[in-house]
Amino acid sequence: MNKRLKFLPLVLSGLLFLAGMSPAAAYADEPYDVYNYDRWGEAIPSQAGYTAERSISGRDLGAGPMDEPSDLFCDHEGNFYIADTGNDRIIVADNALEKTVRIYDRFIMPDGSETTLSKPAGVFVSEERDWLYIADNQNSRVLVSDMDGNVVLEVGKPESDVYDQQRTFLPQKVIADKAGNIYVVLNNITTGAAMFSPSGDFTGFYGANRVEPTAEIITNYIKNIFRSDEKKASMARNVPSGISGFDIDGDFIFTCSQSVTQTTDTVKKLNAAGKNIFAGLELAFGDYTPMYDTANNKLMKPAIVDIDISDDGSINCLDRTTGRIFQYDEECNLMFIVGTKARQVGGFDTAAAVESYGSRLYVLDSAKDTITEFTETSFGAIVHEATALYNDGYYEEALDPWYEVLKRDGNYRRAYIGVASALLRKGDYKGAMKYAKLADSPKLYDKAFEAYRREFLRKHFGKIAAGILIAAGAVIVLKRRKKHGAAVTETEEKEE
Amino acid sequence: MMDLTQRQWVKHAVTHPVEGFEDMRWKKSGSLKIAFFIVFLLFVGQVFDGRLYGFQFGIPYDKTFSIVPYLVKSVVLFAAWVVGNWSVCTLLDGEGTMKNICIYSAYALVPYIVQLFVNVLLSHVLIRDEAVFINVIRIIGVGWTVILLFSAVRSVHQYSPGKTVFAVILTIAAMLIMLFLLVLFMSLVQQIWIFILSVYTEISYRFRV
Repeated sequence: MNKRLKFLPLVLSGLLFLAGMSPAAAYADEPYDVYNYDRWGEAIPSQAGYTAERSISGRDLGAGPMDEPSDLFCDHEGNFYIADTGNDRIIVADNALEKTVRIYDRFIMPDGSETTLSKPAGVFVSEERDWLYIADNQNSRVLVSDMDGNVVLEVGKPESDVYDQQRTFLPQKVIADKAGNIYVVLNNITTGAAMFSPSGDFTGFYGANRVEPTAEIITNYIKNIFRSDEKKASMARNVPSGISGFDIDGDFIFTCSQSVTQTTDTVKKLNAAGKNIFAGLELAFGDYTPMYDTANNKLMKPAIVDIDISDDGSINCLDRTTGRIFQYDEECNLMFIVGTKARQVGGFDTAAAVESYGSRLYVLDSAKDTITEFTETSFGAIVHEATALYNDGYYEEALDPWYEVLKRDGNYRRAYIGVASALLRKGDYKGAMKYAKLADSPKLYDKAFEAYRREFLRKHFGKIAAGILIAAGAVIVLKRRKKHGAAVTETEEKEE
Repeated sequence: MMDLTQRQWVKHAVTHPVEGFEDMRWKKSGSLKIAFFIVFLLFVGQVFDGRLYGFQFGIPYDKTFSIVPYLVKSVVLFAAWVVGNWSVCTLLDGEGTMKNICIYSAYALVPYIVQLFVNVLLSHVLIRDEAVFINVIRIIGVGWTVILLFSAVRSVHQYSPGKTVFAVILTIAAMLIMLFLLVLFMSLVQQIWIFILSVYTEISYRFRV
């Protein structure tokens, strides 16, 4: 009896310990199944790279509730700018997203008069000039002001022959490059972003998407040969989808297109000349095999509404259909898939904008009127470290992080490629072959095998050469003996 | 003259593309057993070609493995060729029996099978830059088999070259028709099976309640 009683506290404390553990374990879970893609493009379970930390509403910031916010921007000082579209204002929040630093709702024009915003849809802060760029949607203008709210420049509808005057000018998003050129996304223009010089003169369109060569377009092209001009004029024209969001990273502008029917040019990396660097690569963004939405009876095809480039060069693409952020590294290899469509923290209704600061991701939801903050998990940190090292060419330094990644997620294909590349560089060709095979990478296996074969031949050349010589000699001797034997029997026959 | 064993006849037929099968016919030689063995080797070769290639030339999808495509690529295709050729050439005054068509066609496949095995071996020694050797061997193997098949059809039915071409084209058409009917039949059987299954399910639910 005594013995049993002795154990009771121990058992009880053990139970308490377990009870204490379980909320922590539940906390680590995401409100969705974390997955990634293998080499065959099939979804496989994976470890989470990001976890939803909290969701921040306008009240949490002390600015009152937001109404259909549509853009989020983090400036070089770490302040967050939220385009609170429904309330006609721009909220500036501090880096921790705990309090409001300032609210911009009225600006002072150069002539001293006051002006207000009407449904501002996009906001941008230029690092070089410290200017605020606002896509003032319903006022059909882009406002450029300094940080004190004094308007420096007002860009309206361009009076140019290139710009169809029958079309409205409703800016959606705005960015400016280092030189001060202003790029404006307009939701009714499919020929690219409108580009303005630093002084506000319209200079043309930038980075138009290509028309996707679908079967319908090809058949139309053939039919058009036989059609009359009147018929052609009454036909619906094939136009590419417009740009829906962009981000600037150094000299490159990344654009995305939210069209669900278009698969070409959904994400582009444009250089200063407007040339797409991703054009030649066969890249797919978003889900490879879209899920079927039984409630709405349609395929959940990716619609990438916003794009953001992290400090380390990762590309974050926000898919509105599934509420997921697809994070790619600089080389467009998929790293993580974060988020879902849900009511919980970490899920979205109408995801509108994505932004990153350091290792954190922020997603603005224009239906929930909140910003969701994602923090990097320890797994995510290791993957990012390894990827950065790998992409910079430090294969051997990336070896240990990649091993650590594999310890945590044996399905992570990039890690096998990383390990194989590192081992190949180190000269462990046999190991490189093993990991290249596990990575399902024939190209890498080929390189490793070539080196392994060279080494093998060098080491065993003497034996191989000797073997060939002996075999050749044996064959010659045998043949001679056979011939000789035949000749002998022939002569014997003759003698008989 | 030409007193060869059955195995030597295989070698003779393969190495003499023009006269080999004529000689075989003249000597009334050829073994059905060896022919079946060759078709079996074709099947093994196709499996090797699909599964055992060197990894530097591509990694096969190994989450699932189905033997059916390999059977279709070897045994079914060969059977369709034999039956198709026999049915076409019976109408075109061919002299070959089903047995002879089977034997001669199987012998003609030998270079193709050898090519399969040699290439699987080579793929473990060569790298991607040297794939041209594999391609050359493949072209030689396939070309040789085509020539042998032509010669086999010509001598088994005693046709002129022109008529052989005509017969081969008709045979391929017959094969396509047969495979089409096969697919049609299979889908029909499947439909019937699903129908029976659903009726059974329905009835079993009724009885349970």
